Amino acid sequence: MREAYIVQSVRTPGCKQKKGQFKETRPEELLSFIMKSAVERTQGLKPEHLEDVMCGCAFPEAEQGLNIGRVANQMAGFPEKVSGATVNRFCASGLEAIALASARVQMGWSDLTLGAGVESMTFVPMGGNIPRPHPEYSRTNAEMYVSMGVTAENVANRYNVSREDQDKFGAESQAKAARARDNGLFKEIVPTPAYKYVKQDNGTYKKEEFTVSHDDGIRQSTPEQLGKLRPVFAADGSVTAGNSSQTTDGAAATIIASKEKCDELGLKPVARLVGYTTVGCKSDEMGVGPRYAIPKILEQTGLAKEDIDIYEINEAFASQALYSIREIGIADMMDRINIHGGAIALGHPLGCTGAKLTATCLANLEEVGGKYGIVSMCMGGGMGAAAVFERI
Amino acid sequence: MARKIRKAAVIGSGIMGGGIAALLAGAGVDVLLLDIVPFDLKDEEKNDPAARNRIVQGGLDAALQSNPSLFMSKRDAVRIETGNLEDDIEKLGECDWICEVVVENLNIKRDLFSKIEKLRKKDAVVSSNTSGIPLQDITEGFSNDFKQHFMGTHFFNPVRYMHLLELIPGAETLPEVLQFMAKFGEKHLGKGIVWAKDTPNFVGNRIGVQGIGKIMQAMVAENMTIPEVDAIFGPALGRPKTAIFKTVDLVGLDTMVHVCKNSYDLCPDDEQRDTLVMPDFVNKMVENNLLGNKTKAGFYKTDLTPEWKKVRKVINPDTLEYEDLERPTFPCLDEAKKKETLEEKVKTVLYGDDKGAKFAWKMVVNGFQYAACRVPEIADTVVEIDNAMKWGYNFEMGPFEMWDAAGVKESVERMEKEGFEVPRNVKTMLDKGFTSFYKLENGVRYFYDFVSSSYKKVPVSESEISLAAAKGNNKTVFENASASLVDIEDGVFCLEFHTKMNAINSEIVDFIGKSLDYVDQNGLGMVIGNEAGGMPGAFSAGADLSYISRLCHNKNYTEMDEFLKKAQDGIQGAKYAPFPVVAAPYGMTLGGGCETTLGADRIVGHAELFMGLVEIGVGLLPAGGGTMNIWKKFVNALPGQVAKDTDLAKLFIPAFMNIAMAKVSMSAAQAVDNGYLGLNDRIVFNRDNLIGEAKKEVLKMVDDAYAPPVKKPLKVMGNAGQGMVNAEIFNMLNGKFMSEYDAFLARRIAFVMSGGDVNKNSEVDEDTILKLEREAFIDFAKEEKTVARIDQMMKTGKPLRN
Repeated sequence: MREAYIVQSVRTPGCKQKKGQFKETRPEELLSFIMKSAVERTQGLKPEHLEDVMCGCAFPEAEQGLNIGRVANQMAGFPEKVSGATVNRFCASGLEAIALASARVQMGWSDLTLGAGVESMTFVPMGGNIPRPHPEYSRTNAEMYVSMGVTAENVANRYNVSREDQDKFGAESQAKAARARDNGLFKEIVPTPAYKYVKQDNGTYKKEEFTVSHDDGIRQSTPEQLGKLRPVFAADGSVTAGNSSQTTDGAAATIIASKEKCDELGLKPVARLVGYTTVGCKSDEMGVGPRYAIPKILEQTGLAKEDIDIYEINEAFASQALYSIREIGIADMMDRINIHGGAIALGHPLGCTGAKLTATCLANLEEVGGKYGIVSMCMGGGMGAAAVFERI
Repeated sequence: MARKIRKAAVIGSGIMGGGIAALLAGAGVDVLLLDIVPFDLKDEEKNDPAARNRIVQGGLDAALQSNPSLFMSKRDAVRIETGNLEDDIEKLGECDWICEVVVENLNIKRDLFSKIEKLRKKDAVVSSNTSGIPLQDITEGFSNDFKQHFMGTHFFNPVRYMHLLELIPGAETLPEVLQFMAKFGEKHLGKGIVWAKDTPNFVGNRIGVQGIGKIMQAMVAENMTIPEVDAIFGPALGRPKTAIFKTVDLVGLDTMVHVCKNSYDLCPDDEQRDTLVMPDFVNKMVENNLLGNKTKAGFYKTDLTPEWKKVRKVINPDTLEYEDLERPTFPCLDEAKKKETLEEKVKTVLYGDDKGAKFAWKMVVNGFQYAACRVPEIADTVVEIDNAMKWGYNFEMGPFEMWDAAGVKESVERMEKEGFEVPRNVKTMLDKGFTSFYKLENGVRYFYDFVSSSYKKVPVSESEISLAAAKGNNKTVFENASASLVDIEDGVFCLEFHTKMNAINSEIVDFIGKSLDYVDQNGLGMVIGNEAGGMPGAFSAGADLSYISRLCHNKNYTEMDEFLKKAQDGIQGAKYAPFPVVAAPYGMTLGGGCETTLGADRIVGHAELFMGLVEIGVGLLPAGGGTMNIWKKFVNALPGQVAKDTDLAKLFIPAFMNIAMAKVSMSAAQAVDNGYLGLNDRIVFNRDNLIGEAKKEVLKMVDDAYAPPVKKPLKVMGNAGQGMVNAEIFNMLNGKFMSEYDAFLARRIAFVMSGGDVNKNSEVDEDTILKLEREAFIDFAKEEKTVARIDQMMKTGKPLRN
């Protein structure tokens, strides 16, 4: 197989669903902007060099429908010949897209691809606009459609993750994110244009543009403050808004080129995808996914958990992230895990998350001078995914 | 000039001002709510509009947070503009009515009115909500024009719920202004108008606090206990359950003491002035800040044990210590409980011979004396006094109505024998051979007028139709023990339920079909309405549970199916009859009552409407067409052909949740939000006018050449809806937000509402869905847990969550 190199990986800020800065900016614009920026920031690369776009999206319908992988690449001004696809593996969609984009290059089917992810949870809510569980299957197997919050409660209950530990984890995520933001450590963020419709003095509305430079969901609080929040998903539960990921809008893009193309265009490889895996688990405790996916990818790549310098483990919920960290046996490596905070502070824009965490992982590897990084997450329906990246 | 109230100012944002503002906003009036700028502003706040409006904003917020809510719909708050008396006082010039509700201080009020006098727009009405200060003192020295447009408008707390509005003319108020405000209060605000004279505390409070003061004094003198007094002066005498002391806890002891003192100070010639002096222990309680519910301790309080169990305590007047509450009774009360009508209960208590009965007699006689001596001092007629006590104090009977119930002649004889003074006007009435304050003749109610010594018609609004009066006038077409068909003239007939809580039993179900046939032969249209008493009262609290329970226990499922089928036939019969049928619900409109309403061609509902399909609470589903008809109401609200191409889930989920969560509206406005009332339905603010307005609606529909609806298959959500519900129920079960049995019931309800085993967006015959309703109902009735729910509801009145 050929070598495939990542030559660029960037993301937009993540902004809160419905209340955040992107609440009136459509997903196509977030995606086309970040793809265009990825190309522009890569010295020697021009849009016409691109062959294909694989875009992850967890709910590819309505504003995100009609194959946003193609629509947005055309909105970005890419030439007609650049094809595009939308990839759905729920919360691993963005990672799946990058893996597929890499694989196409490795297989020799393409020379230069773009793996991306997008989700505007404002425009298309979790579950989609018209959820339609199967009438008969849902009677016998309703857990296939279970709400994510309930799975987080199940993980907390079945594996004894206490409310206190979850709140502490949530507060730490926020603190790490605030520190990273204040010190300008989110190198992977590209300030992103957004717009809103503003009422004018004469009563008409006008579209006004502005730039968003930071994740807007970071809220510092103590575990004690978080301890006062009410459980959302169960009457006697422990999962709250403070120890769950935020629902968020955002997009991210990663460019992959063959070794030959890098040489030809003078592109500078920054990393490569070493391995990628997915694995199924019980749907009513889908959050345990990383606990199986990470050992599996370590075995696939022949690496030990100690070899990994940066772990980006998606914080869908503190309960599942903590459980996975403990079970994998990396609880003593918290200085390598989500070092700039995770989805509890920065948000979890479903289909974008894999692409977003890849950008973050590579930036963090760079910051710490590390070699290997893992991106991993759980998925609705009961799955885990994990990928190993190597910094070059 | 066509006088209108487009915009009203309410000055003072306390509990009364906030309540008046909320009521006006609910009635569709723009409101300017003003209060003072806080005295304690810091320097940096002096130019900050938010800080300057802090008091008024706090008042509005309190009204929005009040429970029970002063707002019928919180969205009405957009009609309320807030401001302060310094920056926004000029805006008073925009208002058609300026209602003052500030602190009870003559100088402050006069100062405010002198500003208003300069700012008010010509013709604007100005009123004071003072409960005690004489109007003549307020307006002394003001211009003639001001006085001509000035009056008292005295609301009762809580404004939304208390029916009484006392209107007090000033000496110079223009009749046109008075008539307009009476009509506005009655029609737009739904209030019952009592004309009061400009005397201290007007009518309701003058009579009310004297009664309370007298009873409190007598309790101490005769060694009665607080719970004993409250047991006597409760429902057995047509008083609310809060009786004497719980009522004062609600109102606040400080307020009560203040109103008593006001009467005492300003009525030096009152023959019962001494009864207005509160016993010492009450004054001590006020000193100790034991003011009632607002301080969480009054005559009663509720303690929590370490196990979170609530324990009711009552104060001992001698020690001011709280003791465990024991609920006493007297033989006369036990006896009264067995009586059907309030008249019989009253007689049983007053003519009993135990300690409680004797106490009751003495106190009630004192009340008779006091009320009779107040005519014509505080109001011209007995009607005003009776209405004030019914509407402002929630008595079922005013003092004169109760005197009639006790028998005027009989009780006067006993009074004379026992040495009670008989008021002169009553004595004269008896001497002239008149033995009751009221009489009903040919459907018209008359009252005895002391001035002319003759009976006069009790004034009623032109929109008011009284079924009781019509029935008294031989207008009953036919009747059984549970329902009557009443001729309300002009070709319109009213189907009236009159069971306990107007529960629907098999007699009513049979009656509906018979009534429809009669109206088809002899009339133009039908109203389904009744006028049961109580606050809020019950249009119908649902199916007769004892009947359903009996069928369940006897496993008599054949009869159950027949009953349901007949109920469905009746409701469908009303819907598809060749004449219009209008339902006139008010108050509790639950279960079968809600189903009856949903089946009508149109709804004319009272603003206070507590409507919902609550069957799941007793382990059942609406099977009188309600499951189908709430869905139909949703899907038929879509214009034209839109249903064909609409995502029906957006309608299905809220329609389903109405039943699955047993949602009950807390006002007619909320019933609109919940989808029970639609675009064709109307809301009436005054309950007294409800049947009259429903009749008008029938006649309008007839006049519009009424065309009955065509019976056609109903568009349903199909099994796609069932899949959605299955998935969501799994989440709720996991979160322990519902029991396994609730989930079982909810799944089946979704099955019925979505049309059964059909593909999405299918069209299903109404009869098929009605059959699904009946089958589900009977399957539920076969379940032990449903029977347990029904039994517990009958025994305790509270739902069982099993």
